[in-house]
Amino acid sequence: MGVAHRESVVQAFDEFRIELDEHHDRRERLIKIGRDATNLSKKVIFLLHRTITEESNDNSNPYLRVARRGREKLREVQALYAQMKHEVQAERFWHYHRAVSPGLQEYIEALSFAHYLEHGTLVSYDEVQLSLSDENGTPYFTLPKEDYLLGLSDVTGELMRYAISGIAQKGGRTRAREVCAFVRQCKADFERFTPYVRELSKKQAVTSQSLEKIEDAVYAIVVRGSEYDIPPDMLDDIIARSISTSSVKLRLSHRDAGSGNEYEDEI
Amino acid sequence: MDSWDVERLNELLEQDVELREKIKEQVTDLDKKTRNMVGILNKIHSTPPQSIPGLLDCVRPILHSCQTTTAAMAVLIPPSQLWRWKEMWSNSLRTAIYSAALVEFLATGKLVSLQQVSQILGIKDEWRDRFALVVEDYLHGLISLVNELSRLAVNAVTLGNFEAPIQISIFVKDLFAGFSMLNLKNDTLRRRFDSLKYDLKKIEEVVYDVSLRKLAPPPTERKLTSNSGEVKQ
Repeated sequence: MGVAHRESVVQAFDEFRIELDEHHDRRERLIKIGRDATNLSKKVIFLLHRTITEESNDNSNPYLRVARRGREKLREVQALYAQMKHEVQAERFWHYHRAVSPGLQEYIEALSFAHYLEHGTLVSYDEVQLSLSDENGTPYFTLPKEDYLLGLSDVTGELMRYAISGIAQKGGRTRAREVCAFVRQCKADFERFTPYVRELSKKQAVTSQSLEKIEDAVYAIVVRGSEYDIPPDMLDDIIARSISTSSVKLRLSHRDAGSGNEYEDEI
Repeated sequence: MDSWDVERLNELLEQDVELREKIKEQVTDLDKKTRNMVGILNKIHSTPPQSIPGLLDCVRPILHSCQTTTAAMAVLIPPSQLWRWKEMWSNSLRTAIYSAALVEFLATGKLVSLQQVSQILGIKDEWRDRFALVVEDYLHGLISLVNELSRLAVNAVTLGNFEAPIQISIFVKDLFAGFSMLNLKNDTLRRRFDSLKYDLKKIEEVVYDVSLRKLAPPPTERKLTSNSGEVKQ
């Protein structure tokens, strides 16, 4: 024992330090990339909301616009995961799963929102996995089923926002009803998975709230719509016409009154 | 969601549940063994030095029997999924590591290496991505060892063994020097490492007591080195 023992202990711990430092550094790097992925994905979601509600000058299909811009931006997130790839090979992925998971869920939320706007369906597990694979179809890592489900579950909140903020638009009322039916189906599908994925029950509660908001909005549409026996398209046109005339008036009055009266106009 | 997709996901998740159950069975099994060992090893506090080897001979077969459990787990865990399930057995495995380390210390006075523990528990290198003895667990096991040795230092004296505290003191200081080399993060390992200083202090007080009252054997070179640091600690 004695000195020799101390030396062998120190030598062993020297190696442990190297290993532990490597682990902590890698974890930090992955947390950073994960945060970037979260931020970018949030931006994608905002972009999608903006693009879909934007009044376009040309009569281009808003859904195609969304598909193009959304996909472009989502590629940036995918590039982050490509960059992460070599750090999460084999058993390492699960070692750092907790660092990676939040960003991954946010990405899946953005991807599935874009997918819904384009196709009107939920993005499948295989499609998400394929989006996280290189050009040969080799996955950067195996997507955990839990993250897939949790990411999907988050999209219902975005769908609620989409349905309600779009109600004032042309075709918005029909769309709200579609979204309502879709979210209802999502909720039913996810319910089966709640025993397996712990956090999913919490997210289901949020989905229920979102669903209720959409249902209330749709209810209002139906009740008011019943007062006029005209097809929804015509209703849209009537509303659009009155909005455009009043907005012209508003613009004119702005020009006359200057900045002083602006407030009253808006009220 | 596609109904086919729902079915498939459901099936996969169901498989995970079954796997969890199977792992749990093995963990319970490992737990039984480690508790048994800890129970026997508790007797070191009341066993005179000459009877210690016999006591260790009772522990060794149980330690050896852990090999069947680790082998069973290595078969269960799917490739690359070590870290997905590891939390389930970490505690039990740490106790097994602790037992192996204590047995080694009592038998030889030396620190058991990570490789040695792996060997004792039959953990094979080729299972690395499924079942492995990771540094963190090994370190946790060693901290438990120090916790126990600080108690042993006290109880050995009660049994009339005045040499043991000095041997323990040197051993624990070496270990502490090793731990001090690590850059620990704010996790459980760090918190447990922080508690080591109290064990160190307790052991030093015992060494102080027996040295001052000349209960310990005549001073040797190594005793002198162990005393030099004690006041500062």
